[in-house]
Amino acid sequence: MKRLVLTKDELTAWVRRMTEGVKVFAPVAVGDYDEFRLVDSDQADLIRWSYQNTRLSPKGLFHPQAERMFKFSTSKEDPEWNILKEVPKDFSPRVIVGMRPCDAAALKIMDVNFDTPEYKDPWWVRRRKATTIVGLACTSPSSTCFCTSVNSGPFDTKGLDVLLVPLGGGRFLLEVVSERGEELCQQFGPGGKEADSEAIATYEELKKKAEAALVPIGDLSPFKERDMLEFFNSPIWDEVQFACINCGVCTYLCPTCWCFDIQDEVYESEGCRLRLWDSCMFPLFTLHGSGHNPRAEKLQRVRQRFMHKLKYYVDKYGQGVACVGCGRCVQFCPVNIDIREVIRLMLVQCECAV
Amino acid sequence: MFDYTEKIREIARRLLQEKKVDGIIGFKKGTIPMMNQPVFITSPDRVELLHWDSWCGVNLANYLPKREGRIGIVAKGCDTRSIVVLSQENQVQRDQLYIIGVPCRGMLDRRKVWEVVGSADVKGIEEGNGKVRVWGNGFDLKLERSELLQNNCVICVHRNPVVFDELVADEVEEQSVDRYEDIRNIEAMSSDEKWNLFQEIFSRCIRCYACRNACPFCYCPQCFVDESRPQWVGKTIDRTDTLTFHLLRAFHMAGRCTDCGACERACPVGIPVRLLTKKLEKDVKELYGYEAGVQLDERPPLDTYKPDDPEDFIK
Amino acid sequence: MAEWEPKILAFLCNWCSYGAADLAGVSRLKQPPNIRIIRIPCSGRMNPKFILQALRKGADGVWVSGCHPGDCHYIEGNYYARRKFALFKNLLEYVGIEPERLHFSWISSAEATKFAAVAKDVVESVKKVGPSSRLIKREAEVE
Repeated sequence: MKRLVLTKDELTAWVRRMTEGVKVFAPVAVGDYDEFRLVDSDQADLIRWSYQNTRLSPKGLFHPQAERMFKFSTSKEDPEWNILKEVPKDFSPRVIVGMRPCDAAALKIMDVNFDTPEYKDPWWVRRRKATTIVGLACTSPSSTCFCTSVNSGPFDTKGLDVLLVPLGGGRFLLEVVSERGEELCQQFGPGGKEADSEAIATYEELKKKAEAALVPIGDLSPFKERDMLEFFNSPIWDEVQFACINCGVCTYLCPTCWCFDIQDEVYESEGCRLRLWDSCMFPLFTLHGSGHNPRAEKLQRVRQRFMHKLKYYVDKYGQGVACVGCGRCVQFCPVNIDIREVIRLMLVQCECAV
Repeated sequence: MFDYTEKIREIARRLLQEKKVDGIIGFKKGTIPMMNQPVFITSPDRVELLHWDSWCGVNLANYLPKREGRIGIVAKGCDTRSIVVLSQENQVQRDQLYIIGVPCRGMLDRRKVWEVVGSADVKGIEEGNGKVRVWGNGFDLKLERSELLQNNCVICVHRNPVVFDELVADEVEEQSVDRYEDIRNIEAMSSDEKWNLFQEIFSRCIRCYACRNACPFCYCPQCFVDESRPQWVGKTIDRTDTLTFHLLRAFHMAGRCTDCGACERACPVGIPVRLLTKKLEKDVKELYGYEAGVQLDERPPLDTYKPDDPEDFIK
Repeated sequence: MAEWEPKILAFLCNWCSYGAADLAGVSRLKQPPNIRIIRIPCSGRMNPKFILQALRKGADGVWVSGCHPGDCHYIEGNYYARRKFALFKNLLEYVGIEPERLHFSWISSAEATKFAAVAKDVVESVKKVGPSSRLIKREAEVE
């Protein structure tokens, strides 16, 4: 495995070289928070190498909040009247720089939905294929983070092609993780020098320290072992749901929530079919054409969100829970519904019942 | 303000033991600093969960509409005004409630703390004598409480509950402030400037509807956003649709909004949504001399009229 | 190139202004052809959504007209409408919609000349600010 040490200037120069060949997305400050934005060579200096994490997860770069899928004409004079035509999109190679390991791990979780042997979401798959991800290890995780408890970690390379580790003193360790990462380094030489044993020792130490800073939330294996109905019928939901106001903050900020809605919009005689994020928190999410709503009550919707992440996903795909512990929902839920606490309640309640 | 917690628990315990109420809506201490969670306590053994500090900005009146039975509710000045509006609108009956009034010196805004400490990761915070100590990775600061107030609290003129059955403490001094300086500044702009300003403000919106759902007055069984025949507003993050949503949301608050700030507080991307509701509040006050949620027996301003209402804009 | 002509959507109360429009036509009063009329049962029926929808669909101006205060067929519909209009007009202006695009009037069914005069006035006023460019719903800007 190739490991290099770069100074911050070398790193910035590397990114700048990339911007001249491919599209580069990186975290930059937008007002009082950070967001992934397309950066050009002049903006390489603005990349926030010391940011905590972006307010919105980078899932939007692969699964945009709203995207046009098809266009159509409703004019009867048009020979292609009412025929859906795919909207051309840009799938040229791109690099996302500075993604946190949790968010990269989240893409792996979403792959099981959008990229399966039977069904492949054409836009997701093509965007994934076009993207190389240069991750940025978390040396000081936030107090709301719990990635180590959910099969990830502050230095997790699962979804990454290259990992950058800030060693302190303006130096970064660059670790090539995948073949694609190797190709990126060949295409745009990062410079720097071979990592010496001291740099590697610092890396190991930082990793250990970061992992130790994360508070474990407990053993999640009961989610796999215990019966679904035990969780579903648990009395805890009544308490968990009380505070919820059914807004979309948790789902929209979440890096693993993938649900979407499809809407047609018509502008005079032209129209387009859009795909947009949807949220299981909204009553409309499950409203049937008949008027019946199987999740008409708030309790059912709140339960769905947690059951999907922690039980249904686990049972269906056998890859653990659909949460990467980024802590966004914990931090931004307006009424402080904390998934860590919900997990605790779910597990405690079930233990009592047994 | 911290001694409020004990008093709230004491009242709650008494109400539950004497079976005066079926449950109490209050706050329990949050799992992270600067956040608390609304909670419904139905048993006297659980009143120890109840908590009060400067981070109780959620408007608990939001949990009242359509709730049955006798309810105790912990309420700040703005929350009690919301209760007044909700009872004017028959969403809750006044005699169904036991209002535990909290005289309030203003709630704090964690965004202001983040701004000062330069980090969203605050590990702890404590308060005393008008100062707030806040610490985290690499910082430990003492800040002035008055500089961390939520924007709506800075200009609050109803810190004391307007209706209550019991107060947890003596009333606090009311402020006398100019509530509309920012609104007047915008009003003085040209149409182009106004348009550009609001385009910029709402461009961040992610349409999560936290502002709508945090509001006690957004209780419609079906929101206009979800109406599809006809569809009044598109559901994407298109700027026109976003502005349409915010205009209609704000207009639905005309003459009702008590400026509790719950909407702005809930916004995950920090949009100052109160700029619209406050404009309406100002107009309602200037045109009809009405202030929302102060008198139980008044009709809301859009539910009544005077024959000589101003009409110089009508040809 | 022909001079630009604005498209103006008028919401007229069935019991008064709509009649006035009719009478103005029957009386052959000269009036600009830019007005498209939607008949509503009362100015109190006007929902702010209708005004927004008109602007979103590209109307250059919106005009709402009802019965004079005291003359409402339903006794008081126009009084409620008056409060809604005042607040909504101010709100739209506050976010940058040009005030020249929104018009309100009281016109009884006998006031054909007033109808023609106000119509002229509305059109002139909208012409002053040119084609509408704000709040028009076009293909969603999403990416």
